[in-house]
Order: sequence, then structure tokens, then C-alpha cells
Amino acid sequence: MGKLKGFIEYNRTDEKYLSVTERLKNYKEFTITPDQSEMVEQGGRCMDCGVPFCHSGCPLGNLIPDFNDAVYRKEWKLALDILHSTNNFPEFTGRLCPAPCESACVLGLINPPVSIEMIEKYIVERGFEEGWIKAKAPTKRTNKKIAVVGSGPAGLAAAQQLNSVGHTVEVFERDEKIGGLLRYGIPDFKLEKSIIDRRLTILEEEGVIFHVSKEVGTDIPVSELEKEFDIILLTGGATIRRKLPIKGHDLKGVVQAMDFLKHQNEVVDLKIDQQKNYSATSKNVIVIGGGDTGSDCIGTSNRHKAKSVTNFEILDKPSTDRTEENPWPYWPFTLKTSSSHEEGIERKWSIMTKEFIGDKNKNLTGIKTVAVDWKIDGDRRKLIEIEDSEKVWPCELALLALGFTGPEQDLFSSLNIDLDQTLKPLTKNYKTSNPKVFAAGDLRRGQSLIVWAISEGREAAYHIDKQLMGNTNLPSKIDGDLPSVK
Amino acid sequence: MIKEQGLYSPLNEHENCGAGFICSLTGKKTNKIIHDALNILVRLEHRGAVSSDGRTGDGAGILIEIPHDYFTSECKFDLPISGKYAVGMVFLPPKINQLNFCVQSFESEIKRQGLKVLGWRNVPINSKVVGKIASKSQPVIKQVFISSEDENIQEKELNTKVYVARKISENSIYQSELSQKNYYYFSSLHTRTLIYKGLLMPEDIERFYTDLSNPKLVTRLALVHQRFSTNTFPTWDLAQPFRYMCHNGEINTLKGNISRMTAREELINCDYIEKSDIEKLFPIILEGKSDSASMDMVVELLIMTGRSLPEIMMMLVPEAWEKHNSMSSKKKSFYEFNSCIMEPWDGPASIPFTDGNYIGALLDRNGLRPSRYSVTKDGYVIMSSETGVVNVDPKNIESHGRLEPGKMFLVDMNKGRIIKDEEVKSEVTSKYPYQKWVNDNILPLSKIPYTGNKTPAEEIDFETRLRIFGYTQEDFKTVILPMCVNAKEAIGSMGSDTPLAVLSNKPQLLYNYFKQLFAQVTNPPLDGIREEIVTDTSLAVGSDFNIFNINEKHAKKLKINNPIISNEDLDKIKFVKHKDFKSFTIPVLYDLNKGHNGIEQSLEKIVNEIEKKVDNDYNIIILTDRNVSKKKAPIPMLLACSTVHHYLIKKKKRSKFGIIIESAEPREPHHFSMLFGYGASAINPYLVNEIITYHHKKGIISGITRNKAIANYNKAIAKGILKVMNKIGISTLHSYRGSQIFEALGLRKKFVDKYFNNTPSRIEGVGLYVLEKEISERLNTAFNSELDINKLEMGGEYRWRRNGEKHMLNPTTISKLQQAVRSEKYETYKVYSDQINKQNEQLMTIRGLFKFVELDPINIDEVEPWTEIVKRFKTGAMSYGSISKEAHENLAVAMNRIGGKSNSGEGGEDPGRFKKDKNGDSRNSSIKQVASGRFGVSSYYLTNANEIQIKMAQGAKPGEGGQLPGPKVNPLIAKVRNSTPYVGLISPPPHHDIYSIEDLAQLIYDLKNANRSARINVKLVSKVGVGTIAAGVAKAKADVILISGFDGGTGASPLTSLKHAGLPWELGIAEAQQTLVLNDLRGRVVIECDGQMKTGRDVAIACLLGAEEFGFSTAPLVASGCIMMRACHLNTCPVGIATQDPELRKNFKGKPEHVINFMYFVAQELREIMASLGFRTIDEMVGQSQKLNMKDAVSHYKFKGIDLSKILYKPNVNESVSIRKTIDQDHNLDNVLDFKIYEEAKLSIEKKIKMNLDFNIKNTDRTVGAIISNEISKIHGEKGLPKDTLTINFKGSAGQSFGAFSAKGLKLVVEGNTNDYFGKGLSGATIVVKIPKESTFESDKNIITGNVTLYGATSGEAYINGIAGERFCVRNSGATAVVEGVGDHGCEYMTGGVALVLGKIGRNFAAGMSGGIAYILNEDLNKNHFNYEMIELETPDNQDIDLIKSLVEKHFSNTSSQIAEKIIKNWKLYKDKFIKVMPTEYKLALEKLAKEKINQIIN
Repeated sequence: MGKLKGFIEYNRTDEKYLSVTERLKNYKEFTITPDQSEMVEQGGRCMDCGVPFCHSGCPLGNLIPDFNDAVYRKEWKLALDILHSTNNFPEFTGRLCPAPCESACVLGLINPPVSIEMIEKYIVERGFEEGWIKAKAPTKRTNKKIAVVGSGPAGLAAAQQLNSVGHTVEVFERDEKIGGLLRYGIPDFKLEKSIIDRRLTILEEEGVIFHVSKEVGTDIPVSELEKEFDIILLTGGATIRRKLPIKGHDLKGVVQAMDFLKHQNEVVDLKIDQQKNYSATSKNVIVIGGGDTGSDCIGTSNRHKAKSVTNFEILDKPSTDRTEENPWPYWPFTLKTSSSHEEGIERKWSIMTKEFIGDKNKNLTGIKTVAVDWKIDGDRRKLIEIEDSEKVWPCELALLALGFTGPEQDLFSSLNIDLDQTLKPLTKNYKTSNPKVFAAGDLRRGQSLIVWAISEGREAAYHIDKQLMGNTNLPSKIDGDLPSVK
Repeated sequence: MIKEQGLYSPLNEHENCGAGFICSLTGKKTNKIIHDALNILVRLEHRGAVSSDGRTGDGAGILIEIPHDYFTSECKFDLPISGKYAVGMVFLPPKINQLNFCVQSFESEIKRQGLKVLGWRNVPINSKVVGKIASKSQPVIKQVFISSEDENIQEKELNTKVYVARKISENSIYQSELSQKNYYYFSSLHTRTLIYKGLLMPEDIERFYTDLSNPKLVTRLALVHQRFSTNTFPTWDLAQPFRYMCHNGEINTLKGNISRMTAREELINCDYIEKSDIEKLFPIILEGKSDSASMDMVVELLIMTGRSLPEIMMMLVPEAWEKHNSMSSKKKSFYEFNSCIMEPWDGPASIPFTDGNYIGALLDRNGLRPSRYSVTKDGYVIMSSETGVVNVDPKNIESHGRLEPGKMFLVDMNKGRIIKDEEVKSEVTSKYPYQKWVNDNILPLSKIPYTGNKTPAEEIDFETRLRIFGYTQEDFKTVILPMCVNAKEAIGSMGSDTPLAVLSNKPQLLYNYFKQLFAQVTNPPLDGIREEIVTDTSLAVGSDFNIFNINEKHAKKLKINNPIISNEDLDKIKFVKHKDFKSFTIPVLYDLNKGHNGIEQSLEKIVNEIEKKVDNDYNIIILTDRNVSKKKAPIPMLLACSTVHHYLIKKKKRSKFGIIIESAEPREPHHFSMLFGYGASAINPYLVNEIITYHHKKGIISGITRNKAIANYNKAIAKGILKVMNKIGISTLHSYRGSQIFEALGLRKKFVDKYFNNTPSRIEGVGLYVLEKEISERLNTAFNSELDINKLEMGGEYRWRRNGEKHMLNPTTISKLQQAVRSEKYETYKVYSDQINKQNEQLMTIRGLFKFVELDPINIDEVEPWTEIVKRFKTGAMSYGSISKEAHENLAVAMNRIGGKSNSGEGGEDPGRFKKDKNGDSRNSSIKQVASGRFGVSSYYLTNANEIQIKMAQGAKPGEGGQLPGPKVNPLIAKVRNSTPYVGLISPPPHHDIYSIEDLAQLIYDLKNANRSARINVKLVSKVGVGTIAAGVAKAKADVILISGFDGGTGASPLTSLKHAGLPWELGIAEAQQTLVLNDLRGRVVIECDGQMKTGRDVAIACLLGAEEFGFSTAPLVASGCIMMRACHLNTCPVGIATQDPELRKNFKGKPEHVINFMYFVAQELREIMASLGFRTIDEMVGQSQKLNMKDAVSHYKFKGIDLSKILYKPNVNESVSIRKTIDQDHNLDNVLDFKIYEEAKLSIEKKIKMNLDFNIKNTDRTVGAIISNEISKIHGEKGLPKDTLTINFKGSAGQSFGAFSAKGLKLVVEGNTNDYFGKGLSGATIVVKIPKESTFESDKNIITGNVTLYGATSGEAYINGIAGERFCVRNSGATAVVEGVGDHGCEYMTGGVALVLGKIGRNFAAGMSGGIAYILNEDLNKNHFNYEMIELETPDNQDIDLIKSLVEKHFSNTSSQIAEKIIKNWKLYKDKFIKVMPTEYKLALEKLAKEKINQIIN
């Protein structure tokens, strides 16, 4: 159970980074692997709570106290097994998750929480190093076939789960490579793509069949899938980007963040050369949207050596600490500073973009903004523009990181799936109104975290197997998710 | 007698009592003896009880010699000479035809035995004195006179024949269809003794039986007894004495004793009783009688075997011989030999007995009942529960003595002399060559050679078997490994909030469907830790033989010292080659594909096979669940064991063999305990052994060998079992075996009756079908899982995991509750309460299965306001110590603000809190708890209570004491508790002043004296029979009875207790309500309920079932910030609640408002429910169980069988009977001597004027000093009066609790002697007891005060001019005492103060002594008598010598003690003759404190 007074004796340590100048030189990950002894101490900080809120806060239901304890006892293999029992891809979440577990950690009430995510990452990295993570093909095949449409984390997790119990799983991806947002949405400095490939090799060895550059509905007719497969699982993500339909939105230099990031990922992958319109070099860059994607754009722009990088967020600046309305253990809506922010950024809050300004050649030259205020109006907050606060910012590249509005609709109609008001599939236990079709991930849930995507994929797999076989030995996290503060 | 109904069962009745005898050593027969003896009962009346009619006692009676001359003159027929005829005292049915039938039936049996009826005499009675309740069942009473046709018949033969005739006629009438057959009863039928008894008050016996006042009716001896039964349905026949004995106490092992006795019947054979008659004697023990009656029936039978009465008593109630290092081997051999024949009848017992020739008494091995005797110079012996019950001139006293634990006191009536214990026993143990018999025949397991492993390896791999038997990683980590390392069971904290087995979705082991029973009130739990010398876990295995034959065959037994055996030991037994032992191993598996029928078929095969083997002289049967496979699944071992046990009892073959278990299932002490409880004699947990081996190989268990790890585990389990046994007050595994002290919860009655006969099961539930389903589910999953041990399920029983067992307190409920109380939002509270209530509905608790009948709703405005409702709310007893000062005071302030009550818990309270704070808040806990540790319980503490709670049991660990780990005992807490900083504190499992119900009545009386305005609350834990206990407690004059659920919280408790002992409160409240209403006792007491109450719905259900006040503990803690770390026992609570770490305490963020908001929310939710049900007030709502219905919406396969109708049962009583509290108890304080003293001492108390007063005192003057002290505390607070301001001199025998809670400034002096609990809770006074001037006996050889002297004394001085009884200075934490000799367990649990013993000490001195100092005069001191676990013996230094000298001088000046005088006169000689008993940790602490002081001075 960790160390009895570890949480008093040891301080939290976080993963250390290379210096900003050093890391801006390339697109590689820049974390420094900690010593084993340090990891052991960090594991020893876990208090083995009677009610581990972290375990509830983690959408996967990671058995956090248990792997912390195993790490503390230096039982790395056991730790890995515990970790893998709830999470197919800890190497992804260990790098990318915003760690709701840590914000729910009981120790967080009094001290900085346990460095759960770091521990997670180094358990799995240790596993790869030691060669413990090997393909484990099923011993028997069930002759059931499942098509997974979309190869992001939800699809991959479902594929691995379903394959492990002997179903034949084929994954269809319209892009050239497998991975979805992991591959194309996350910059390499946060997730080197070899990390994805390392895992994909294992999935392939286990028997998962991948089809790339195959868009279902275009390259393969939906009817064919319906004929060939017992179950179709839709994990195509919530790919429709939110637009900013204001004056000047069609100027050259107004770029969707996802296009910008995808391009960069392809460049790093040496697939294509850097294109000028996607380059931030020597430009005044303004990233609109204060979320994680925005942050990735900032990191990328700085690596491009932009002239300046500025970030706009329409909401007001969050407090640095939890407020009374937002107590522990709920997800904290507090000011977050990412490693990309550290690399150089001017952040602006309560600012709304009113117009993109261009020259005659339709090149972006600036952005007109207005300051806003948020007034409480009953249960809601209302936006009020502040008079005489207009301002024009010089800008040659505007990156729109405004989030996603929902999934693409084409497949839904061809598969005859009922939708809810937000145009997402209506599901019960991940099953759509079409009994052969399941849905999971952002496509079902709306845009969310990787950890949720993996969770959705696993849970969908559980229900699919149950439907196919009558019962299932696949794990499920059951209930126990921490509720929202509201 | 009231019939079984609802949850009430007459089988649950308990009794305790007062008893005594007088006999004349000179053989002088008088009628005065009868009056004196009956007067003993009158003087012991406070030990009995009266029913609601105020007239019906629980039964009393007197045994005398047959008054030959009287009968000769009274009878209209001729009588032969004395000894040639027997007289029967017969109860007969009132219906004349039935009466005639009984008479005829008896007479024909008499004839058949070659005897003749000389005549019948109508016993003259005066029915007018009988109480209303008793008169309903009053029998016709006659005497019958019987002689033999054969005039030369020997007296012994005549007694045998009348016994046979009586037994046969009883059996035939009881089996007949007579409607009044239960009236038929022989009080006595003997040639020497005659018993007059009935359902009478003691003073009425003589008035009822007019014979007794006739001066012509004379006797040499008289044995008297009166009962204190827990309820008001006692019967005429169960009044005592019985034919050979009476009994004060309770036999805890009764069930096992009865079933073993039944098993023995098959072997009985005897030359002088016709073979055909022998069978008609059975059952030897009639069903449904009391423990004492049952024991008497066995004594009767054993008398027929030719054993003497003393021998029989030694056999049934042996001394604690097993670990006695100075007992002669001759005596040990006698006991060991007889242990092969008879298991101890264990429990608190003082047993006076007589056959007319001998009269004597015996005390149980623990010395749990008081038995005092006096011998007079004019030749009388008076023996009784109390001294001073017969007025004897001090000049006439020859000696005063007491019965000592395990010892016997015997008078030979014919020789007119007292035979001392050693002499009686020496005679008995010399009768046969026991030592030789034992040496030649008993085979210790260690003597069997081990010849290598012969058990073949399993075919199925380890990992799969782990899954088949339901192991989780939590089992390894939390349960098994800690035992391997520490050799004791792991500790946990907070309550259990997981579903009952029957409501769980997880496949359960059968063990989890049973709950352990435990002792409360009617008998004490034992302290197997501190009083280990009386415990024993060894067992003997083999065939039993005819008890009529006394020969060495009985000793042909295999002896196992720790019956948790290793694989090696099991192999030894499996393949034993020995002339006396033949073992047979039988698999207990079934065909999986046959389902539950498969189990039934297999069991049938198994028992048939075993029966055959037993017929072929196999005497060891090994049940094994090895070799499971995909097709062969394991039958639950408990089911197999119990089935074999019961089936062969039924077949009358059970006594021919022992059962040994080889099983993968058992892992926790509870599992093992159950197997022993249902008949096993040894258990080999082979899979646990494999688990240990695995972890050892992996290096997870390191630093010890594998064998050591296994031995540690086995030892831990044995200790755990001991704890389970001790909980119910049983000392030896020998008598625990087969005793079935469990209640089934959620099993079908039919299933239980078939396989676990005689185990209560009250809410029905699942049967074999579901159990099988759970097994096959486990098996299927096992064979379909990966073979990776790392991937074993994580568990979640003890710590919440999503995939584990559900917990009511989980991240969602905890966070929502905290959010609600902090944001003051009722809507958020509703989210929380909906979650909890919904969880209930998802089958986690019994209350979840109820639904409200919402028929007559009213407007919520009509419901009484929340401010009224919260006055009925309390927070639970959590001690300062277990929780921090901040958390403790937060609760107090909150509850005081809203007019509710907080509870001090058992840790005392800082007097600084008794005064209000400047801002008007009060940190004073309204309820002050008195628990077994008596920490900080002083007059001033009690004076500041509105309610005083006696904790009889705690939900989380009923039957066990509290424990406060050392790190939590910081100097402040140590000060409040009068203990040593950083030394862990254990409060004893029993209250050492409550071993029975009359003792509880005494403590209630004590506390009521100590604070007349406080309500006395008795805290019980729900279990089967809690209703009858509650009735007894109501009769003992409690004002409030709290029934706690098993799931209540704790700061530290063994895991087994957290999970497996006690029942949900729903059953307890309902049973208490029903029983109290049936008894018409409900109106006098408030019923309170607690145990995981979390919402208004919970409160509403408790109220409808009968509760009117409600306690919350966990929930208000959560409201104050508790996040259920379950680390209370570790002192690492991160939120500053259950910790004393100053840094962590800073993290406490709770505010009184949070607690108040919680209480408000609960009340608000309750009001909504009240409105929907149509209740305006709580009073209207109490006990209206018709407003509850079983939920019909839920359709879980397990739930289908549950039947809650017994819980919802509402007794049908007439309107005058209250179903809620309506009147106050009458505490009978009007005649307390203190009031008379107060009249005269008022001035002294108020104005501190020195005063000397004189009074006479007698044993009925109890608790003298407490009221006076209460008055002193009220005026002068903690400081009291200046020393010796008010001196009161008494003459006579003081009653119990003399000087209890006596405050500073008082000096109480008794010239005479005193009873038990002298100086209980002494709070600063000086108390003295000295022998009268005119007495001639030597003080240091005679007893002058009773047991449990100075229990929990916090300060003051005591000078005792004689010997004190058992447990002298137990839990003394500050008083100074001088005494001239003490009994067993002296200075037990002492934490402070000084004891000087100028004489002998008994065994187990200083057990658990963690503080204070004892000095002992080192003259023929037996050093084996010390318990060295926590102390060292030292030579006193100069400072000590000075102290001793001054104490001896004070002793002399106070008592004129001769021994003190001698010492002072010869000081040079004596000054080196003392030895100092120093607690090791106390010494270290003192040194540390001294250093700190020096440092302070330097700095």
C-alpha cells in the first residue's frame, strides 16, 4: 500500500523537460526520463485510500493505487499488468492525458497530488524496454467478423479488445496511416509517431487487420461492410470543425488548426515538404482558441520560429486555484499552463475576434477584436461586448483552434441510424438503432479526451462481445465515474 | 409463555441471578436456616428483576433436606425410615383429567421399576401472593412419596430407579398430545433433598409455600436461588434451584454441549438400568430448557454413572489447566483424561450444588461470578453472591473466604467439616491412574513421524484454482500476507458499507452468509489477549466411548495443539499407521453438469460412504476439495462439514469419529471459525499454503522462511479464532467445536434447517440453487481466464474498486455530500441522498428492500419543524483520541447549537470543555460514554453529562474492546485518559463490572447515582436475541436502549470483526420493538438506532420499525471532510480527522455548519417522507411498520427468496400497551443511604466544613458515596473538597460499588467488609475498609472486599485491611491502594497510580499493565503468577522504599492493620523484602518525560 507516510516524507516531482531553447530545435519529445528510485518514491506517495477518487476520476477506471503500490514495491511487471488490465495504450495517455485522476487524487486536498500520469508512462515504457509487451494472439478464433471504421484511439482499443477474444477485426482508415487524431492531430513533440507504430505492430501481430486509405462509403460501399461483417463499429471521431464565419474568414492565412497540425505531422513524417501557407516562420501568429489544440499550434509555431505568437480566448481568465463552486475532486476549471505555453506565448482572455483583415491580394494582415465581459444571468453566463474596446492586431497567420461540432453524417444515413438532437447516434450500451452497428469515441460522445476514447472503445467491445457470444470475459469498468460538479 | 412470533423467539431468553446457601457444620437441623436462607434472597433482591406487573419475579426457590419428621407427622400414610423413600415435588396440569393422566402415567412407571407410591400430599399454598402474570401459568403442586417393594434396596439404587421412572414418564408425557403437558414437572425427586420453588418474588416463597414457615420443618442445609431473566416470560419449572445445582451465570457453549450430549447417547450402556429403559431416557437434555436446567440434567445422568458430585463438577467446569505451569501433573492428567470424555460447559458460572450429603460450590475458570462465604464460630457456613446477606456478629466470624476461579468449596454434611479445594481434588484425581492412562493413550500429532509428501499434485494449475475458489489480489495483500509477516490478523477502520452476501452481485463464499454471534450483557466476552491463561485451542480427535465406563479407552485420542495444520501434518494423519487410528479421505466434489442436484446427490453419497467407514472403525474422516476439474466442482466445505456432522448426529454415530478439513476455501479467521463451529477438528488450508509459497518464492514475503511464514499464518488464524470464540465468551476450542454460534442471514430457512440444523435464519433468502449458481459462475470464469496471477481480480471488499464489491460510500456519494453541506444546497444533498437511497434499492441493505406505503399524505407544513426533529439526532461515540480534537469539538459545537447530542466516546473529555466558550458555543459532549476502558470516567465527567451511555458492544467489533494505537496517544490524550503517552491502549473486551445482566443493573444504578439528572443509555449491537436482551436491559432500568447495526464504524478493528460479526439494525430494532411491546416494557425506554444511517429515508425506516432517536457517525464525519481513507488506525488521516499528528490536524477543514447542514438536510428529507405518509410528529410514526412494504419491483435472482415479514411484524397487543416511550423508569433512588448522609453533611459539602459522621451499612446499601460526590462535583468541580473534609464511618457489610466515583474531600471508612466494585471510578476520595475491632481472624488470610476493586479509578486512595478478590485495580489509572492480598489478574490494564500488596497475589498479575507501579511484599511470592508481557520486576530504589514506608504507615493509621504494624516495627527487616512491578513502556515514557523536563529547564 505504498509507504505509510510516503505522502508526508516525499514531495511530488514532475517529469523534467529539456530547456526551451533546446527543445525548440526540433519536433522530438523533450522529457527527461527520471531515475527508478525517484519513481519508487513517487509511487510511495500514494496513500492507498479506502475510497480512491483517482480511480473514479479516471475515465478508464485505472487501478491507480494498485499500480502505484506495485511500483513502490518495484514490481514493475505486476504494475504493467495492472495498468494494461484497464488501459490498452498507457503510452498514449501517459503522455497526453490531462490526468483527471490527479485532480481527483485525495492527496491533492492537502499537497500536490501523486504524479500518477508520470508513473503510468514509465510503467509502460519500462514494459517496452524489458520486452514484456508482446503480441498475444488469441488461441482460438470465433469466426465472427467486426469492422471498425476509424482508427483513432477508440477504434484501436476496441479492435484490440475484440481481437483478443478471437473475433476477426478489420480496421478501416481513410487516411494513409493508422492513428486518427493521435497520428495527425498531436504534434510529435508531444507524441512521437514511432510510439504509435510500436503499438500498431503489436496489434497487427495479434491479428488485427488494417486497411488504410480506405474510406467507407467511398472506397468501400457500406452495403459490402454490412454483408461481410457481423458487427460494424463506428469510431470515426467528431471531425467537423467549428468555423468562424466572420468577415475575412476566407483570407489566405486563416487556417484551421487541424489542417496546420496535420500538415506539420506529415512534414515530420517526411511525407511532404513544408508548404508556405502552413508555415509560421517569421509571421505574426494568432491562435484563436485556448484549448489543447491551440496549445499544440503554439508549440508548432514556435518551432517554426514565428515572429510572434499570441493566443486568444473568448472566455475570461480562469483562477489559478479551485473556487468554491468547483471543489475537489471535480475536474478543475483552473488556469493551465502547458509546456507549449512555456515556450513563448502572449495569452489574451475575454477577447472576441470580430474580423479578419486582408490586403488586396487577399492575404491576411491583421485581426480586429473586441474585449468582452461575462455577466451572470440566472444559471447562465452572458457575453457582453465592451464598448470602445476594438483593437487591430497585426497577423499573417491565424490558426482556428475552436473545437469540433460533431461527427460527419454520411455513414449514419446509409446505415439507417437514429440520431439525437446534436446529430450524434442514439445508443444504448454503445449499440445504435441498427442492431449490427455500434458507435464509440468522439463520434458517439462528442469531442473529448483520448482517455475517454480508449474507454469508449473498450466498453463498446465489451458490449459487442456480449451481443455476439451471449456473455463475455472482456473487462468493463462498470460504473463509478466521478460525476460532474453540477 | 408467549409463543414465537415476528422476530421474537422464546429460545433467546437468558438468565442470571443471585444464589446462596447456608448449612450447619454441627448437623443441627433448624427451621431458622430456611428463614435465613430466604432472607439471603431478599437481601439479594437487587440482583433479580420484576415484570411489568410489579409482582411477578423471574422465579426463586429453596432446596432443603427432606424433613422426615415433619412429613411423618403431616402425611396421612406411613413413611419408612429416612433414606428408604424418595419425595417428589411435582407440578401438575390444572385440568383435572390431564392431571390424573399424568399421575397415572407416572405411577405406572414407578410400578414398572419395582417401586411403590406411598401416597400423594397436596402441598399447602397461598395463591394470593402470586403475581398476575405468574398466576396464569400456576400449576397444581403435590408431593409424592415413593419407596421400593424391596425393603433392602440401597439408597443409590432407589435414586437411580426413581430417576429412570421420572425420565421415562416425562418423555412419554412430553411426547403426548396433552394440551397442558408442559405443566408436568418434577422440581425434585430424591431421597435426601426437596425443592420449593416457583415464579415468585423471594419474599413470597415462604408466604406461598406455607410449609416453610412451620417450625417443625427443619433442615441442616438450605440452598436458595433467584433468577433475573432477560424478559418477562419465565416459567415455573425454570425457577431454580434444580435437582442438584443452581447456577449464577450463563453457559455460552450450550448449543455445542447439547449436540455433543445427544451424540453421546448412542454410546450409553449400563449394567443396572434395563437396556430397553436406557433408550427411553433420551433425550437426556430436554429441548427448550434453560442452560442451567440442561446442565442439571447432565449432572443427574452423570450421578447415575457412579461419579461423585465433585468429580462431575470438575468434569463439566474444569479449571484452566491447559496452561497452568504449577498444577500437579496428577491433576492435569485427570483434566486431560476427562477432556476426552466431556468438553467444558463454558461460561460465567458460580454453581452451588448439593446432593444432601455434600453441599458446595464451584466457580468457572475465569472467576466471572462473585461467590463469598463466611464460616461462623458457632458452626454455620454461609455462602452467597454477596457478603453480609446474613447478619452475623463480627465476634462470631471464624473466617471470610471467596471462591476462586476454577476452585471448589465443599462441605461434608455428614462429617461436619469444610473440605478445601486441594483436598477434594486430590481425592478425586487419585481415584484412577489418570496419568498413566493419558501417557499410554493420547497421541500427540507431533509424535507421528512424517514420511514425506504422499498427497499427489493437483492437475489443474494454481492460477485457475485461485479463481475457482474466488481469491482476489486483495485477499493476498490485505488478508493473507499480513498474517504471514506479523502472525496476527490485519486491522482495518471505518465501518463496512458493502452489501450483505445475499444482496451482492458478486459470487459469495457460503461463509459470508453467516454472522458471528457475540456476548453482550447477559454474559461477558472474554479477554483472550490479557487473560490468555484461561484459553486453549488444542483439540483431541478420535472415537468417544460410553460415559458409564471409566477406563483408559477414552484417552485414545489424537491430540492437535493448533488445529490449523500444515500440509505435512495433514499427510501424517492421512497416512497414519496406528492401532488406535484409521483415517479415510473423501473428496467433496460434485458433477458440475448436474447443478444443485449434483451437490445434493454427492452429499448423500458422501455421508453414506462415511457412515460405512465409521461402521468399519475408521475414526478420522478427512474431507477434501482437492482435485477439482472442469467437470468436478467443489462443494462448499462448510456445507459438507456441517452435513456430515448433522447427518451422523442424527444417525447417532457422530461420536465415533473426528472430521478433518483439507480445503482451498478458508482464508480468513471467520471461515475457520465456522468450520470448527460446525464440527471440524482440524483444518489444512492447502491453497493458502500454496499462495504463501508463491509469494515467498517471488520475494514478496522476505526475511523469513516459507515454513515460518506458514506457521505465522496458522498462528494468526488460531489467534483470530480465539478472538471469535472470546467474543461469545468461550475459552476453549474444545467446547467451541460444534457450538454453531452463528446466525444465517439471507439463507432459506428450509436449507438451513436441513444442513445447519439449529442455526437461526430469519429473513429467508437463497438456497442450494443459487449457491450452486455462484460456484459454477466462478468455475466457468476460472477456466476462461488467462493463466496469469497478476491478472487475478483486484478485489474491493475493503477498499473501493469499480469492479469490486459495491460500497455505499464511494467517490460520488462522498463528493456530493461534501459539496452539499459546504454549498448549503439542498438540491445537491438530494443528489447524494438519491444516490444512497437508490443504492439501497439496488440491494445493498435490508432497508433498501422496503418501500413506503404512501396512502394518506398531508401537507408538509403540518409536519413538526426540523428544529424539533434534530433534537432526536445524535452523533456517534467517537473518542477524542480516535479522532482529533478539532473534529471532536466540531461535532460537539454543531450538535449543541441545534439541540442534538454529541457523544464523548470512550476516551474521557478535557474538563476545559465543560464550560461554555465566550461566543456561547459549547464544546461539552452531551452524551458521556462509559466503556470498558473507563478512560477519564470521574465524578465530574459524569456530572457534566445529559446522558450517560454504557457501551456494551460496538457495531464494528461487538464483543471486543477498543484499541487506540500508540502513535495516537499523544501527551494531551494520555492526560485525558490518565495513561502513558505513546503507549497503545486496549480497552478490555468485557466491562469488568458487567459479567451478567444483574451487573449491568448495578452499573446503571451506579451511574444514576453519579448523576441523577442524566438519562442512562445502554448501547447494544443487533444480533439474534437482542430483543430479549433489550427487555432485560429495560428491566435493569436503562432509560435509553441503543441498537447499533453491525456496520458501524471504528477507529481500529480486526477485519474479521468488521465484516462478520453482528447484524443490520433493521433486524435489531424490529426485534427489540416487538419484544419490548410483547413484554409491555416499551413504554419505559427510548429506543435509539444507529449504524450507517445516511439519509432521511434511513431515519424514516428506523422510526417505523420502532426507533425514536437516531445516531449518525460516518456521515457527519464525511460532512466534516472525511474521505473514507480507512487509515484511522494508522494515524495518517490526511484530512486531520482520525489522526493526532499535529501537521495533519492542520488539514481539518470541517465547520460546525457543515454538520448542522447535514442534520438539517436529513431532517428535511425526513419531513418530506413524513408528509407523504401522513405523520405530523415522530411520536406518531414510531413503530408504525404497516407503513412499510417489501419492494416488489426488484427482480434479482438472489433477492427472490427473501422474506421480510418478520421484520414488519407488529405484535397484537391491547391499547394500554405503549409502543413508544411514554413513562419514565423508576430508578428506586428514594432509599439510597446517601440522601440520609446528605441531610447531615450538607453544610460540610457546601461550606467545606470538616465533619465526621457515623452510619450503619448493609449489603443492600449500594453505591454509597456517589450521590454525595455528584453534589460535590456540581459545586466544586474537578477540584472537589479539601482532603478529608467529610469523613463518614460505616459499620457493617457495605453493598456493591461502595465509594463509586467518590470525589475528593470525602473519606469513607467501613468497619466490616465490602462487596464487589469497591472504589469503582474512584475520583479523589479516600476509602477504607477494615476488620471490626472485635473480630479475631487474621486480616491477610481473609477476604474483606470483593472482585474488581477500584475499576477505572482515576485518583484517590484506598486502604484495604484484608484480601481483595479477582481483578484488583483493573484499569486503575491514578489511585493509590494498599491491600493485604489479591486474587487473579491483579492490576490488569493498569495505566497509572500505585498499588501496594502486603500479601499474596493470584495468577496473571499485571496483565496488560502499561502504566503505574505495583509494589509487592516478597514473601513466598510465586513469580509464575506474573504476566511478563508488559512489565519487568525490579528492586525498589530509595525513593520507592520511602514511598512504600509512607504507604504502610498510612495503611496502619487508617486500618490498624496488624501486618502493617508488623512491617513498621520490623522495618529494617522488611524494607528489602519488596519487589517493584514496572511496566516497560511506562518506564521509558517516564524517562523521556524527565529528559524533556530537564531540557526545558536548560533551555
